[in-house]
Amino acid sequence: MNLLELRGVRKSIGQEEILKGIDLLVKRGEFVAVVGASGSGKSSMLYIMGLLDKPTYGEVFFEGDRVDFSKEKKLSELRNRRIGFVFQFHYLLPEFTLLENVMLPAVKLGVRREQAKERAYELLKSLGLAGKEHRRIYQISGGEMQRVAIARALINNPSLLLADEPTGNLDSRNTYVVMEIFKEINRGGTTILMVTHEPHLALQAHRVVEVRDGLILSDHPTQRA
Amino acid sequence: MRHVLFVAFRMLLHRKRQTLVSILGVSMGVSAFVVMSSLMLGFQNYFIQQVIDLEPHIRIKPRTENAESSPYVLLLGEKMEEKDRILGWQEVIESLEAHPEVLGVAPRLVSKGILKYGVRDKPVTLLGIDPQREPKASIVEKFLKNRNLQRLETNRTGVILGVLVAKSLGIEQTGKKLLLVAPNGQTLLVTVEDFFDSGITNLDDSRVYLNIKTLQSLLEKQGEVNEIIVKIRDVNRAERLSRLFQEGIAYEVESWQKAYKNFLSIFKIQNTITYMIVFAILTVSAFGIFNIIMMTVLEKKKDIAILMAMGFTRNDVLLVFMTEGLVVGTLGAVLGSVVGFGLQEYLESIKLDVEGLIRTQGFVLDRDTLLYVYAFFFSLFFSLLASLYPSYRASRLNPVDIFRSQ
Repeated sequence: MNLLELRGVRKSIGQEEILKGIDLLVKRGEFVAVVGASGSGKSSMLYIMGLLDKPTYGEVFFEGDRVDFSKEKKLSELRNRRIGFVFQFHYLLPEFTLLENVMLPAVKLGVRREQAKERAYELLKSLGLAGKEHRRIYQISGGEMQRVAIARALINNPSLLLADEPTGNLDSRNTYVVMEIFKEINRGGTTILMVTHEPHLALQAHRVVEVRDGLILSDHPTQRA
Repeated sequence: MRHVLFVAFRMLLHRKRQTLVSILGVSMGVSAFVVMSSLMLGFQNYFIQQVIDLEPHIRIKPRTENAESSPYVLLLGEKMEEKDRILGWQEVIESLEAHPEVLGVAPRLVSKGILKYGVRDKPVTLLGIDPQREPKASIVEKFLKNRNLQRLETNRTGVILGVLVAKSLGIEQTGKKLLLVAPNGQTLLVTVEDFFDSGITNLDDSRVYLNIKTLQSLLEKQGEVNEIIVKIRDVNRAERLSRLFQEGIAYEVESWQKAYKNFLSIFKIQNTITYMIVFAILTVSAFGIFNIIMMTVLEKKKDIAILMAMGFTRNDVLLVFMTEGLVVGTLGAVLGSVVGFGLQEYLESIKLDVEGLIRTQGFVLDRDTLLYVYAFFFSLFFSLLASLYPSYRASRLNPVDIFRSQ
């Protein structure tokens, strides 16, 4: 069953065309890696798939429905309920404890505070952060920050997890930990689309999509498929 | 809305020092507004109340132009007969008393004179009053030290001196005798029966009350009256009623508002200046709020971007920062009100001789709770206004641009 589809998506910034006609279909439960050189357009593609940016031309379908990019409230709702983001930089809010950072999307969703707290505790525990829930971000390591960001992305049980260079700032040990977490999440049924420029990480996905100069150059399954 | 409050409060608490400075700024504006308004309105209300109590609500007096500029005067060089008196004053009083809004009417004869006591003398305003009728039309008795207005009836040579008149003549007790010199050169030995203390300097420093018949006799104006005073039910209707009465009376009908027009105009100017100062203070504090929120927005661009990525709408972001402004405004208003209340208590406890337009033993304050309500709304208004632009800027940020720039 299709979760996400891009049809003839183009994106221009000023005079420059970044995406030149992307057609991509992501099925539920897939783990897709998007690879490409810097400036190839892979992040731009991820922002459109995450409904953060609208295409200049083309259509986007999410869970079978055509996305109307003019309806800002609906887009925000979809991002909150159905999509989780993990970026290269953790983007955790320094004002909040780790627990509160994780709780935020659930609070936005309207989940009762106690319930949100319980779920955040569970997630942090499952990601190896038990006992650190009330720490601030400056009290934990970079790898731990990224795990908190993953927990935050997962709190509302999204159907799609978008990761933009999630291991870009991590050492090999933490990279391994994050990739294992992604695989585990994916096994749990969450679709993952990960942008990376590291081929050995891409091969851990089910499918690798290579983007070059704003076009999909190749799209093939890996041995894990 | 919970998510908005959750983020807004955390951001404020995270920047404790800046938040506190902003709150202090607003509280300064609020307390300044409360205290300055309280002092200013206290003084003005006191003055107006004294004027209303002391002065006629409506006064009927001969027209100046009748005496000075009529063709009769210009051609013959003589002044009209009614130049300084009211003809048929009994009928005027009767007609006024019949009006349902009139509480009392009394005749007066007003003149200048000089009081001599030992080697000292003092020019004064002589107010010849009817001790029976006067209390119906004014509450002059309230301002008498010994409440001895009726002594003017029993002792026809009795006078009531303004406290400052007495002070400048060196008289401290009743029973003292002094010489009254009328403008026509006639003199009369009078006895001090009481002292008049209104708290309004220019009245206390010039007024001398005596029986109207005594003054008529001294001025050789038997049966003459040159002022009729009217007390009405609603002092605020004095101007309207004076215009109504004017239609049926040939003499000048003047309301207390018209008589004290200059003072009321000064009060308006005074209010404008005070509120401009308070406005300036509130503007400065608003800039404080503007500054802190703008700084937060500029420093927290990536946090705003991630909030949007996790589902916060532009409206949510706008509300987060507007809430910050509102919280600062509210806390500033509460703190400012407490400080303002404390200052009012302190000012009220100070005992000192204030002598100017009015004389009091300390500051006269208006403790109306409405001042706090106004201050509260002003501070909220300014806080919201100050946070509007930075909040709007925050809500218009494009998260993709921010992520790309990292």
